Amino acid sequence: MAASGIKVSPKSDNLARLVGTIPGPIGTPYEGGTFQIDISLPDGYPFEPPKMQFATKVWHPNISSQSGAICLDILKDQWSPALTLKTALLSVQALLSAPEPDDPQDAVVAQQYIREYQTFLGTARYWTESFAKASSLGVEEKVQRLVEMGFAEAHVRSSLEAVGGDENLALEKLCSG
Amino acid sequence: MDKSTFIEDDGGSDSDEISHSFICCVCRDLLYKPIVLSCGHISCFWCVHRSMDGLWESRCPICRHPYIHFPTICQMLHLLLLKMYPVAYKRRENQILEEEMKQETFSPQLNSQACNHWGDPASFSTMVFESNSSSDPSSPRKGEAYANTEVLMSDSQVQDDGIGTLVEISDGNSEVIRNIAVEEKYCKQVSVADVLCLECKQLLFRPVVLICGHVYCESCVIISAVEMLKCQVCQTSHPRGFPKVCLELDHFLEEQFPKEYMLRRDGILLKLVDVEHKHPTICSTGTAKQGEPAKQGENLLHWPDSHSIVHAACGCDSCGICPIIGDRYKCKDCKEKIGFDLCGDCYNTQSKLPGRFNQQHTPEHKFELVRNAPNMLRLTLQYNSIVIASEVSENGSPASNLSSDAQENDENDLADPVASHDAGDGKTGSQSNS
Repeated sequence: MAASGIKVSPKSDNLARLVGTIPGPIGTPYEGGTFQIDISLPDGYPFEPPKMQFATKVWHPNISSQSGAICLDILKDQWSPALTLKTALLSVQALLSAPEPDDPQDAVVAQQYIREYQTFLGTARYWTESFAKASSLGVEEKVQRLVEMGFAEAHVRSSLEAVGGDENLALEKLCSG
Repeated sequence: MDKSTFIEDDGGSDSDEISHSFICCVCRDLLYKPIVLSCGHISCFWCVHRSMDGLWESRCPICRHPYIHFPTICQMLHLLLLKMYPVAYKRRENQILEEEMKQETFSPQLNSQACNHWGDPASFSTMVFESNSSSDPSSPRKGEAYANTEVLMSDSQVQDDGIGTLVEISDGNSEVIRNIAVEEKYCKQVSVADVLCLECKQLLFRPVVLICGHVYCESCVIISAVEMLKCQVCQTSHPRGFPKVCLELDHFLEEQFPKEYMLRRDGILLKLVDVEHKHPTICSTGTAKQGEPAKQGENLLHWPDSHSIVHAACGCDSCGICPIIGDRYKCKDCKEKIGFDLCGDCYNTQSKLPGRFNQQHTPEHKFELVRNAPNMLRLTLQYNSIVIASEVSENGSPASNLSSDAQENDENDLADPVASHDAGDGKTGSQSNS
């Protein structure tokens, strides 16, 4: 459990508002990212589920790419008062590893997942790179550098997205394409 | 634990001394007024009550095992915890009492006289652990010869001599000595006398707790092929088949009383060889389920057909069924906020049990029959619950039936209550057939 890297910290003095942090699971397009989840505890907690949604933008069939809303049964009708914030966040982390495109929260992402899996992986990686890595170089800087090399900005952005945000791969792609 | 910060770990000063077995899975604190569900999982009185579903069958927070009856507090565990952790238990008592005052609803009072509730108080005082007779369950009444003697065995003594010396103390002194022991070194000063089976009067082995809160060895529960499982002390029927072993308590007993536990295990094994020829299913929970008693309960959908009224979040104060389905009898004289209600069956059998929430109900009180509770909120809730349930339901057939009927319920609420009662019965019958 020590390796789970899951954290919960209060947002303010109000203990009903919390922020959870989960690392992206290894071997997924979310690897290397750190995802923040807004948690609010209803009055009935733990007899009612905590409300959770992603504060970090994430590209996943069961998470809204717009609002961060999570489609996960244990946060809804399958909640049990024996679950904790930690176990719930572990389940969210597991959801990142095992998307359920048949029960989507974000239909666009789910369609992409089913029809163009490689594109999905690229986009998910790009989003992880762009939004879930605070320490890494910002996407804008990469875009700027590539644009300075003489490529069109729209082209640069789509290439970066296609390769999951890796600057060198994007350059290769731009050169070959 | 990892580095995570968790607000639910309140880290009370006494919490690190409490055995993990006795931490409530819901409130993460020392169990207070513990209830053991039929799946064997333990939780606090209020934690169980609040986890229950007001409209649909409830599920165990840990294993999601379904149940519909609110069980009674396990008094043996209550007294055991009180003895083991007097400080922490007192703290819990104060904490819960404060919450109860706010809500104006109280949990049952359990004082030292609670032992009387266990049936014959005389037999309680003669519960004797005899290491030499533990392998001879055929003579459980042997202990009565020691009516004025209480045999205590402390954990340390067992470890000292390795045999299990019996310390005999005359009745008058035993309480005094025990109290001193409790005060001096309260933790772990429990004796085998605190954890005896109500049937064989020996150390519990693979304990099961019935819905009435009484504890037996798994092998001591009498299974009848015809009738429902019944508590031998209070005669309460245990619904829904054979209860599962309370493993947390079992592990505790094994750790706390290793020698005695071993003796019990050997004794039971010997007995089993005998019994297996006659009743091959008697001691295995798994197989017993397929036996007769299971038929009444293992199919868990108790949702009735469209004619029955569901009294949302309203449980029977006698048998504990929640929600009450069909006729509900509400006491007109009980002043408590939570009220006092009986289901049709319990009203007709003139149950004399006290309320589940310490209500001051007396037999003189008058009841009124509540046939309907039509309000839009309830219907909406009911409707939602049905939709959810139909998704969860393993065999979807009854659920699809229900959602279409939900809207009719309002009218049916006003319909002839006799018809609704019959309908309820009919449903039970079809259930056991399926």
